[in-house]
Amino acid sequence: MKKVMFSPDRIKVIAKNTFLEAVRQKFFGFLVVIALGIIASSQVFRDFNFGAPELKFIADFGFGAIVLFGSVLAIVATAQLFFSEIENKTAITILAKPVFRSEFIFGKFIGVSALLLVFTAMMTVILAVLLFWRESALMEIDPEGFEAGRMVAYADVFLYGLVQWLKFSILCGITMVIASFSNTNLYSVILSFVVLLICHLQYLARDAWTQMDFALVQVAVFMLATVFPNFQVFNIGDQVALGESIPIGLTVRIIGYALAYVVVFNLLAVFSFRKREI
Amino acid sequence: MTPAIKIENLTKDFPLGFGHLKLRAVENLSLDIADNQVFGLLGPNGSGKSTTIKVILGLLAPTSGSCQIFGTPSGDVSSRRDVGFLPEAPYFYRYLTGYELVAFFGRICQVEEKRLHDRVSEVIEWVGLKEAAHRRVGTYSKGMLQRIGLAQALVHDPRLVILDEPTAGVDPVGSAEISSLILNLKDQGKTIILCSHLLGQVEDICDRIAILNRGKLILEGELSDLVSKKDLRSLVVQNYREDFNEELASWLKAREARLVHVEQPQYSLDRVFLEHVGRSELAREKLSERAEAAMESKSRPDGGRTE
Repeated sequence: MKKVMFSPDRIKVIAKNTFLEAVRQKFFGFLVVIALGIIASSQVFRDFNFGAPELKFIADFGFGAIVLFGSVLAIVATAQLFFSEIENKTAITILAKPVFRSEFIFGKFIGVSALLLVFTAMMTVILAVLLFWRESALMEIDPEGFEAGRMVAYADVFLYGLVQWLKFSILCGITMVIASFSNTNLYSVILSFVVLLICHLQYLARDAWTQMDFALVQVAVFMLATVFPNFQVFNIGDQVALGESIPIGLTVRIIGYALAYVVVFNLLAVFSFRKREI
Repeated sequence: MTPAIKIENLTKDFPLGFGHLKLRAVENLSLDIADNQVFGLLGPNGSGKSTTIKVILGLLAPTSGSCQIFGTPSGDVSSRRDVGFLPEAPYFYRYLTGYELVAFFGRICQVEEKRLHDRVSEVIEWVGLKEAAHRRVGTYSKGMLQRIGLAQALVHDPRLVILDEPTAGVDPVGSAEISSLILNLKDQGKTIILCSHLLGQVEDICDRIAILNRGKLILEGELSDLVSKKDLRSLVVQNYREDFNEELASWLKAREARLVHVEQPQYSLDRVFLEHVGRSELAREKLSERAEAAMESKSRPDGGRTE
């Protein structure tokens, strides 16, 4: 019998189908509408800017919406799309074909990651348009304040979008690992949110590590800081909102850091799903 | 010749999560399923049929024993190249059209892109869904879902087709049509494994059966051998009158045979239903042909009853 080989084409087919399934879910549409509404509403809330310049406030507000809804989408969509395949038995139909489980996992990951890319791109474009529109209006009101040209570095706004997408992709990988061994959608979602919290707060542990005396605790904290990615690495929003440029070296390091974790989490998901009985 | 499926001493346990407690779903099952036959895998709920199918498909790993498909271990992805599978109560992506769904599975099975369109159209037409091919699967009836499920199972032209409850929830007309499709598959040289609780359907179309109970194989063999009463024959006579009984009984007695009873042959309710509903000519003809062929073979001197 002819040997079946690992096939990127099959991954592409599964990814495309996952993406189509995701964009047709009401949850995605709902989240897009809410996120767009929140970004647009930054104009309404500008009175609560706590003294920050208006454009910075809009940028912060928009970045916050992208991070919040992107994280929710990354976790919920990944868990939902994975478990819908298991619960509806479509996974059985697919895996009863000459398909490697790794192809199934990679296809699912790429499909959700593409969804997150579309979501992040949409949000970033809307935020950039809003900033551009408001900046143009302010330039007419106060031309002297903009003598040096536009304040917002739009390329960096898009760079922020790219960096957040990379972070969401790591989160998608983490959720995929959890879903590959857990039995319910709810468990996967809750555990993934806990891990998200750890990833956001693990810098505290890193800081504490340097001041710890016990070697055992140091090792434990080091392990924690290595296993869970540090999501503060992706927090370049303040620099972008303040108009500081992001060095290319930093961008490359962030991309490399994200890709390393994406690869590791995908391999872990494959390893965990390899023997799963469905 | 390599059997389509060879199962040797298959045992499958599921851990119950407490200590070393295990649920034994299949116990020491050995089966050889020869090529080009319709094989019925029967048993009550919880008898181990689905577990056995999942082991065959490589979805579950055996606790002990082995399973091979055309000589390749079922855990090897390559073994599924020649397998088509229709799961019980199939649920497919509702937002895809029937055509898109079958094309999706065709691509998964790496049907060549230049052949894909023709092959998808061919199997969709073959299962009788040509008119509904471009409707979303979400709008399909149960019978149509089973048929599109059959189309996706066949899109890569497998040699072995495994059908888990293909007629569950389907009306008698749809059920007869699916039976007819299964017989067509056999005519094409394929091996079909059929899991069904509709024993009438199994009797109509299966060559061999195996019955599982509580994970153990309790009966296996040629269907005709298992269901025929070997020491009895029946005659179907036209223009028979009741007063023949006595004379016939004494004629038989003189030859050391005994008239057990005289009864009027009956059509099955399925057949009456199909004739009155008036659809499914093809299915009826196919099943009638099959029934006639079976009768002919059994009426030979070495055969069974005459009807």
